[in-house]
Amino acid sequence: MDRRNSRRDAEGTSVITANRLLDGRIVWLAADGQWTTLIQDAKLYPNSAVEEALKARNARAQEEALVGIYGVQVTETASGPLPVTSRERIRAAGPSVHPDFTPDWHAPHPAPYA
Amino acid sequence: MPLLENGQIIQDTWQIAVEGVSLPAGDVLVPLARLSEGLGRNSDGRLGVVLSSADEVETLRDALPRLDVVALTFPVFRDGRPFTQARALREHLHFKGEIRAGGHVLPDQYEFLLRCGVTAIDLPGSSDPAVWQRAHEAFTVAYQPSILKEQAEGFAFRRRLA
Amino acid sequence: MSHSPSAALPVGHYAYDDVDRTFLKQRVAQFKDQVERRLSGALTEEEFKPLRLMNGLYLQLHAYMLRVAIPYGVLDAKQMRTLAHIARTYDRDYGHFTTRQNIQFNWIRLEDTPEILNVLADTDMHAIQTSGNCIRNVTADQFAGAAADEVLDPRVYAEILRQWSTLHPEFTFLPRKFKIAISGSQQDRVAARFHDIGLISREGENGRPVFEVFVGGGLGRTPIIGVRLRDDLPEEDLIAYLEAVLRVYNAHGRRDNIYKARIKILVQALGTEEFLNQVNAEFAAMDRARYRLPESTVEAIRARFGAPDFAPAGNAAEKLAAQRKADRAFDAWVHTNTHPHKQSGYCSITISCKPAGGIPGDVTSAQMDLLADLAERYSFGELRITHLQNVVLGHVRQDALYDVWQALEKNGLGEANIGFITDIVACPGLDYCALANARSIPIAQKLSSRFANADLQREIGPLRLNISGCINACGHHHAGHIGILGVDKRGEEAFQITLGGSAGDGDASIGQILGSAMSEDETVDAIARIIDTYLSRRTAGERFIETCRRLGTAPFKDAAYATA
Ligand code: HEM
Ligand code: SF4
Repeated sequence: MDRRNSRRDAEGTSVITANRLLDGRIVWLAADGQWTTLIQDAKLYPNSAVEEALKARNARAQEEALVGIYGVQVTETASGPLPVTSRERIRAAGPSVHPDFTPDWHAPHPAPYA
Repeated sequence: MPLLENGQIIQDTWQIAVEGVSLPAGDVLVPLARLSEGLGRNSDGRLGVVLSSADEVETLRDALPRLDVVALTFPVFRDGRPFTQARALREHLHFKGEIRAGGHVLPDQYEFLLRCGVTAIDLPGSSDPAVWQRAHEAFTVAYQPSILKEQAEGFAFRRRLA
Repeated sequence: MSHSPSAALPVGHYAYDDVDRTFLKQRVAQFKDQVERRLSGALTEEEFKPLRLMNGLYLQLHAYMLRVAIPYGVLDAKQMRTLAHIARTYDRDYGHFTTRQNIQFNWIRLEDTPEILNVLADTDMHAIQTSGNCIRNVTADQFAGAAADEVLDPRVYAEILRQWSTLHPEFTFLPRKFKIAISGSQQDRVAARFHDIGLISREGENGRPVFEVFVGGGLGRTPIIGVRLRDDLPEEDLIAYLEAVLRVYNAHGRRDNIYKARIKILVQALGTEEFLNQVNAEFAAMDRARYRLPESTVEAIRARFGAPDFAPAGNAAEKLAAQRKADRAFDAWVHTNTHPHKQSGYCSITISCKPAGGIPGDVTSAQMDLLADLAERYSFGELRITHLQNVVLGHVRQDALYDVWQALEKNGLGEANIGFITDIVACPGLDYCALANARSIPIAQKLSSRFANADLQREIGPLRLNISGCINACGHHHAGHIGILGVDKRGEEAFQITLGGSAGDGDASIGQILGSAMSEDETVDAIARIIDTYLSRRTAGERFIETCRRLGTAPFKDAAYATA
């Protein structure tokens, strides 16, 4: 299942992303099979292999408490994978209008549930 | 499939017309297209009709006094037309028989269905009746009149739910 | 100076009783149960989604977004403090006021949501039907109960409609969302013709109100101005008539294509006459007694609204005049940010949530607390959120304005720009929204910085600038004198400009697209050239929209695409 705006083509490279069911936060699939909040840690898939990987992950979505698993086309840069679309760049980096809200942002004071 | 009626699970004794096969004896549910066949049937079994969510209940006006059941169908729970069909059957056509709802229905819709005049649910296979019962008991007040005879709760349109 | 509460009733909104409070707690318990069923797998994501949406919970780009209802835009100081508490405790210390007079929190966790709804319920608030294919929060005009030209208080009717539509058994799974707006005066301050149903009130012959009913208006990808179904709907038939409209819509609205599912498409497909025939047939056939809205019900609801206990005007007006003379900046603010009140010695003020370079509609928790304090001290505890993403204090004494303004100034809320080019309406856009094509906020920030100069804004005069990040038009770009629409150009953000839209006052119109899309910076420059064109070509006293209408789009198009 591809997403509008993620612009995958036949040749390129993709990473796999989702939102966590419990808190909604964006995660990326890392090489060790764990989900991470930092795109820098995401595993790169050649686009020829990504559908297969998505299928496997989607089958486990309920168990892993994830929603909306899909692939995102990236280019490789010195600082890690960079999505080709603005949408996915904003997902990876956080809202551009709040530079402090990076993906590893933590509440300055612990929330009551912690 | 089991039916949920008045909080009880009961066995559904009705048969469903099978396409291309002539109607059986006994209580039978027919699709709208076979209504006249059902009405002309030579049997003392009862007759019901299954509507799709796109059917107009108005087409049942003449047949309704001879029907015991109207079964409404949710192709998907988001298709809310059966609510209007049920309410119209009660309010416009004064239907007194059983109205069933089946197909893809959620327990979260149960109370709405009852308040629109549905009396029985054709429970989807894996349903837990306790969840449906909880849904029925979740609220003790509603904010608008319905076709049920509900008591006023204070002022305005508020109604006390049993 | 402070007002003693004249009664226990909140000013400006309906006072909950125990029955209403029980209902809210039951709703929270129901949602908690639904979340548990989702986590256990008993509900699929597909099944859960509409249920969470009907409690205002969206999954957005970065996290869940919770939209809290502010019925008819009115809330009290206590409720505003609850919102501040939620922003601080469960979010990232801010909230966003929307054009539907609601507030959105952008960083909510699903697992916290039942608790948040519980906290909201403690001060009689909820998120019911702020999303989903159901009847949404009913909006009313922001000067309700204060405007000098008001015929009736629309909030009483908005409350009646809110109650009637709450968990409506028949209309909770409509083909698409359904928005109702009601204006208490002949002057349409709610964009009634851009709603699924718009109601405009006037006084009928027997002293009870009658309503003009518009149906099938809307923006989004198919902007349409609503058609008039009734001229003089009597009050007692209000609910019955809306039931009839919704029944026709629920039975016949399209469900095969979400882009064609709004009632406006049904009205267009059937034609106004046939649609009206079907509504009339339903209205004639229904059990009208069941849905009759008797005067006694209206009065019972009205009796649960608190009313401000005004003090005599005294020399408030003279004091204000002297203060205005003494302080030019204050005078400018009074000029733009106040509105006449029916009570002598009072006025309504609009607090701008659009600081130069800021995010339109965003307010921090500290600002929310300040707004609550000011409302308590100066406006009978009442606050209103406007569909232009600002906050109104409805009833402020004229001799208190200076104090209020100073407090606002100190806290970044003193901008004197209401109705000007920097009073920008913008949706969250691609910074937050999963459906967006382009970011709305950064371009709004650039424009409000570009035109920040107070003299320049005053020189330009009244101008509505609206920005949407995609064709869903949450920023109402079609209704802006200048509209900006975010589009996707091969994965990159780009913007189209529309010109000549207008939302109200009997001259609703839909903006015309000027030409092909440009980058963010090009768009900002193009708008500056459009403004220059207006300034050089306007006749004396002519407003921007009037010049647009007189000249047509051609000269503005030339200016927009003129490259230096
Ligand atoms: C960020 C989350 C949001 C999402 C996912 C969202 C989604 C949508 C969608 C899909 C539509 C088009 C519906 C249709 O035409 O059938 C729409 C329309 C609308 N939205 Fe939003 N929206 C969001 C935020 C907002 C905000 C922040 C505002 C207020 C500033 C807003 C106000 C509106 C209004 C007034 C319309 C109606 C336009 C019309 O009349 O067609 N929405 N929204
Ligand atoms: S207009 Fe588009 S981008 Fe803006 S909030 Fe609505 S859906 Fe999102």
